Amino acid sequence: MLLAGVLAPFVLAVFAPTVKRVAGPATGWLLALLPAALTVYFAQFIGTVSSGGTITFSTPWVSDLSIHLSFYVDGLSLLFALLISGIGTFIVLYAATYLAKHADLGRFLMFILMFMGSMLGLVLADNVVTLFVFWELTSITSFLLIGFNHASPRSRRAALQALVVTGGGGLALLAGLLLMAQAGGSMELSTLLQSGDLLRDHPHYLAILILVLMGAFTKSAQAPFHFWLPNAMEAPTPVSAYLHSATMVKAGVYLLARVNPGLGGTEIWQTVLVAFGAVTFLIGAVLAIRNTDLKLMLAQTTVASLGLLVFLIGLGEEVALEAAMAYLFAHSLFKGALFMAAGSVDHGTGTREITRLSGLGKAMPITFAAAALAAVSMSGLPPFIGFIAKEWVYKATMGDFWPLAITGVAILGNALMFAVALLVGFKPFLGRQSETPKHPHEGGPGLWLGPVTLAALGLLAGLFNGLSGGLLVGPAVWAVAGEQVSVDLYLWGGFKTPLFLSLATIALGIVLLWRSRAISSTLAATFDRMWGPDRGYDQFLDLLIGTARTVTARLQTGTLRHYLLVTMLIVAAVLLLPVAQMGDLDITFRIPATDFYIFGIAALALAGGFSIAVFRSRLIAILSMGVLGVAVALVFLLFSAPDLAFTQLMVETLSVVILALVIARLPIYRSDWRGWPRAVRDSIIAGAVGVGFTLLLLSITSRTLDLALSEYFAARSYTEAYGRNIVNVILVDFRALDTFGEIAVVVIAGVAVLSLLAMGGRSLAGAGRAPDSAPDSAPDSAVTGKETS
Amino acid sequence: MFDGSGFEGAGWLVVWPVLIPLLGAALAAAAWGRERTQATISIVVLGAQFISAAVLFDHVWSHGVVAMSMGGWPAPFGIALAADPFGAFLTVVGSLVALAVVAHSLGATDAEHRRAGFFPLILALMAGVAGAFLTSDIFNLYVWFEVTLISSFGLIVLGGRREQIDGAVKYAFLNLIATTLLLIAIGLLYGLTGTLNMADLSGAVAALPQDSTLETVGLLFLVSLGMKAALFPLYFWLPAAYHTPLPTVSAIFAALLTKVGVYALIRVFMVVFPDSAHLAREAMIWVAVATMVLGALGALAESDIRRFVSFTVVSGVGVMVGGLAIGTEAAFLGTIFYIVHSIIVSAALFIAAGMIASAGNATRIEDLAGLYKRAPYLSVAFLIVGLSLAGVPPLAGFWPKVYLVQAGLEAGSTILVVGILLSGFLTLLAVGRAFALIFWRAAPEDAPTPPAPEFGNLVKGSLGALAALTFLIGLYSAPVVKASTRAAADLLAPDAYIEAVLGAPRAVTASDDPVLGKEVTE
Amino acid sequence: MNSLILKTATPFLVGLTVLFSIYVLLRGHNVPGGGFIGGLIGASAFATYTINEGVAATRRAMVFHPVSIAGVGLFIAGLSGVASLLFGDAFMTGQWWFPSFAPDLKYLSTVVLFDIGVYLVVVGAIVAIIIGLEEST
Repeated sequence: MLLAGVLAPFVLAVFAPTVKRVAGPATGWLLALLPAALTVYFAQFIGTVSSGGTITFSTPWVSDLSIHLSFYVDGLSLLFALLISGIGTFIVLYAATYLAKHADLGRFLMFILMFMGSMLGLVLADNVVTLFVFWELTSITSFLLIGFNHASPRSRRAALQALVVTGGGGLALLAGLLLMAQAGGSMELSTLLQSGDLLRDHPHYLAILILVLMGAFTKSAQAPFHFWLPNAMEAPTPVSAYLHSATMVKAGVYLLARVNPGLGGTEIWQTVLVAFGAVTFLIGAVLAIRNTDLKLMLAQTTVASLGLLVFLIGLGEEVALEAAMAYLFAHSLFKGALFMAAGSVDHGTGTREITRLSGLGKAMPITFAAAALAAVSMSGLPPFIGFIAKEWVYKATMGDFWPLAITGVAILGNALMFAVALLVGFKPFLGRQSETPKHPHEGGPGLWLGPVTLAALGLLAGLFNGLSGGLLVGPAVWAVAGEQVSVDLYLWGGFKTPLFLSLATIALGIVLLWRSRAISSTLAATFDRMWGPDRGYDQFLDLLIGTARTVTARLQTGTLRHYLLVTMLIVAAVLLLPVAQMGDLDITFRIPATDFYIFGIAALALAGGFSIAVFRSRLIAILSMGVLGVAVALVFLLFSAPDLAFTQLMVETLSVVILALVIARLPIYRSDWRGWPRAVRDSIIAGAVGVGFTLLLLSITSRTLDLALSEYFAARSYTEAYGRNIVNVILVDFRALDTFGEIAVVVIAGVAVLSLLAMGGRSLAGAGRAPDSAPDSAPDSAVTGKETS
Repeated sequence: MFDGSGFEGAGWLVVWPVLIPLLGAALAAAAWGRERTQATISIVVLGAQFISAAVLFDHVWSHGVVAMSMGGWPAPFGIALAADPFGAFLTVVGSLVALAVVAHSLGATDAEHRRAGFFPLILALMAGVAGAFLTSDIFNLYVWFEVTLISSFGLIVLGGRREQIDGAVKYAFLNLIATTLLLIAIGLLYGLTGTLNMADLSGAVAALPQDSTLETVGLLFLVSLGMKAALFPLYFWLPAAYHTPLPTVSAIFAALLTKVGVYALIRVFMVVFPDSAHLAREAMIWVAVATMVLGALGALAESDIRRFVSFTVVSGVGVMVGGLAIGTEAAFLGTIFYIVHSIIVSAALFIAAGMIASAGNATRIEDLAGLYKRAPYLSVAFLIVGLSLAGVPPLAGFWPKVYLVQAGLEAGSTILVVGILLSGFLTLLAVGRAFALIFWRAAPEDAPTPPAPEFGNLVKGSLGALAALTFLIGLYSAPVVKASTRAAADLLAPDAYIEAVLGAPRAVTASDDPVLGKEVTE
Repeated sequence: MNSLILKTATPFLVGLTVLFSIYVLLRGHNVPGGGFIGGLIGASAFATYTINEGVAATRRAMVFHPVSIAGVGLFIAGLSGVASLLFGDAFMTGQWWFPSFAPDLKYLSTVVLFDIGVYLVVVGAIVAIIIGLEEST
């Protein structure tokens, strides 16, 4: 059943375009039925999970590596699954209305549903490989969704950037997960995480940690990888609301929470997570107030929230984990609502620029209500779940272990978030109505149902904190902590430090809100000229592609001479280095002194070879090759192989005929002289190869040759193969298969020559010199999408 | 005249996948000038080759290695063909993909090219490939290399454009050097051992002193076969030639030629040099990693769509040989799976590249745009195949990478793990970039909009089939994993292969040989 | 080629050479000779003919397209190996016919048939190349 739950969105995705074609305006409502049903399906597990139980499902997938398609529902995965399917329901509805007029809506919904399935698979996976498969699927579907407006270069750049950053991190994660599975002796997370000490004490712990963190940090946009997330806002708003706030970017956080029982708790874990989380938190919060585009502001606060979550998981104490899960829950609700509301504003007015928006409250009352509720939750005011989460954050930062600085970071970050929340939630709706590109209007129920529901849930979750704490946040904390702890969320904790810190946050936040215009423009003036990782990404890509081009052009020069040079150098090295290194040359040199013909033949062959190398005319070279061939034929004759000698002579004769015909087609250069420096260099290499082969041959001929094969053939040639000519019997009987292959070569050679001639082949001159790699020297702006179109 | 075991009817199974296409090539050559007859012959013959390979594989799977000694002269004196799970598996996949590619060519290649020897050359090529996969005789292996070399040379020049001639000259020169080096290496090995049968060589080489001579011979095999397989730094010929011929020809080359080289490397180093040629083995991992990374860099650098694909083929060779260099069972499992995956994906990519070039009327990635709208079918297929190439789950290319990374981690070979992940990253970037530019980018508005490309059913269907194959293998990899596991296990325990080929270990000297001994005494 | 003597002598010379090549082919199993050498001699005969009489004349003299001849040769060679299937032997196992009237004639066999295939391949392929080159100059 769990498997069916994960696969169902994929199946429906395939049919989404068809449904769209058939159902028309009802598409959203129809398709939303599935995530709604999934939400109900997952909700029924709440009872089991909140009483400490788990639900598992496993089926062999690739049995040989113990890769199972196994799923596992505990508090953490259930919380995520509910958020994914629940928010997903509204996203499908929202998208169908938001993009109602878009020609490719069916395709869009297909990608959204595929993403939903991937995300469900990711959070429910028990097997590390299963987890990774779904992890990468979220990257791919995200690539397709961000690039949905594919005609825009900015969209393409953002899509590729997200793919490069998260895909690259994913590869590190793969190594990390496999290494972890190896260290812990299991592929199943549920088993692995029970043996946390085994992992933490393993010699590969550091490597595992670094690799897993690379995966998690890139996915969850932790500094310095935070730049891709705001760029991903190029995607249509439903994508931003779903992937880049509530779900996908939390996959990294999910992973950290998931492996916390196995890898967490060490000093390095705490230091790295707290440091990166805190920095990301501040960067996100500062960049949020710097921006004036609603979506970008929200995107930067998402970066900040992700930083906060990583920071909290890094702290690792029980109360910190409670804060993390409570905040994660709260964030998904208010951020989803705010993104959808921002999209509705964009949809209704035609702009997202906050400076141009005001007084929309009258025209868009429902959107206003949703945005306001969500913003209050985000700002951390009671009685919303956001308030509780923030209180817990302060409780967590006040542990004995962590210095005051951490609390300071939290106050500053939260104050910034407070200001941005109220800016986004109220500024566009209050005051005098502004001029906007479109006449502001409220969209259909598909547009407001989601934000209203999510925002209201934020309120309800805060009011009924016993239920949200006991049923959802609590069990999630158990899973992260690796043990059952009692979780009791409450709104009123008495006049204690967290409350005072909250008050301080609000005070600071109000100041920031009051001066937000000035802060924003000051920050913009500072940051826009500064180098940032986003520019660094471009530089990295340019450098990478530039290097690739340089290296490729250097290796693949297009000159046959160069290729031959390298090849011969390698051959020379291979022939001479082993013997030079091992120094075990053992040669007994036997001179057949009685046989003087052999010296004559050798001299003839040498003369032929020498004149090929020395004389500069092609004609002489061809004739010299003939001389060499004749010498070889004589060798055959001398060693009583008249067949071979005869064949060799015939081949030489026909070669001359064919070469004579070919030569008529070749422009005869007077010479191919390469100049002295090259000639000397080439002679040295050729000499080295020659010496190498000679030494090798001498070394081998110094041993006794095992003649079993030739003796076998000689003994059987007449008695069993009925032929006295052993050479012929070898050719047509003993090794007839070789001959069969070789005559096939002869036929093919004939066909190949005819093909060459029939199709043209007018001139062979200059062949082998054309460049055969075509890298451009100019940087390729199309890669990064910098070109304006 | 031979009544020994293993040579009865089943032995013929190993002959057919080689003989059928060779006879087909003969018939196609005999039907010179009759292009329709040749086309019919080709499809029937390739279909028959696939069926015969499948039957062979099935038999090998249930009954173990099938071997037959040609002419009834027992190995090592006669030439034995032998199929173990590894060779049979590759023969099946290779002939299946060849069938798809040739079906594609019926729709995509014009009649003029097809008349000029296309079919006999393709069939001879397939005979050479199957021969190389199924022979157990190292000189016979050389013969099949020659068959593939000459037929592939003929296929490259088919068309006679200037750049083809240029590519063909580089291809022919460098490959002739490679085969010549191979021949020399075989000759030297024969001089050392007095035998040519690989199973027989296994024992004979083990008995040799581990000196520099043997090391050099081992390195010569690495150089010559590595050149055939397109390993760094001797892969020049591949990017120099693969972008020039007809797209279908490139497809079949990319699918099979380098794999024959990789196959031979594995066979030679696992059967002939299982415990020697240490220098070659040490060099192998570095060479493999350099190949996979530089190949991927080349793909990133190239702006011509077909050169881009050529370099991805090079990169894949590095991955395969990386597994051989590690040499554990998990590594071979990954390597064999990767070979199968790469056969499918390389063919599909070249087919897709040809379709992209004809749909967009350009070959440079910079000049191509707007195909997402104009050829949606092609864009889906390209994305699936490209992502599979980059090793993105759940496509087929993902699994071998998991196995290889795991094998690398187990063996403590950080360099292999880094190489595989890095080349995967570069390939992902290159594929994503190509997709964004070719498909997503809108065509310039001032350019005239060419009509939507019309591809025939054979053209689309063959690409679709290959894309579907890599997709389905990704979702349900169990059969390929099972076959690869079996093949890997048998590679590491070559005794069954050796025994099946030799029947019994060869008599060491002539006087121990019953027949020969008798002759001598008479 | 303008030599009158050569022109007149060519047909005889060529016919003689072809006959000689077949003789070399057929005797090859027991004394130096065989399909390869025979084929090379035959091909050289046709080469001479082509150079003297032109491509068209050679085409007429050969009746079939040289590539077809080579293809048929390859096919014959292959089939000669399959014959052993009928007798339950391995591929390319020589099948011999010792006629009762001439029991010492150890000659009629698939092995010799294979050699004939080799001969045809060599003649066909080389003539194809020479004709192709001659035609395209």
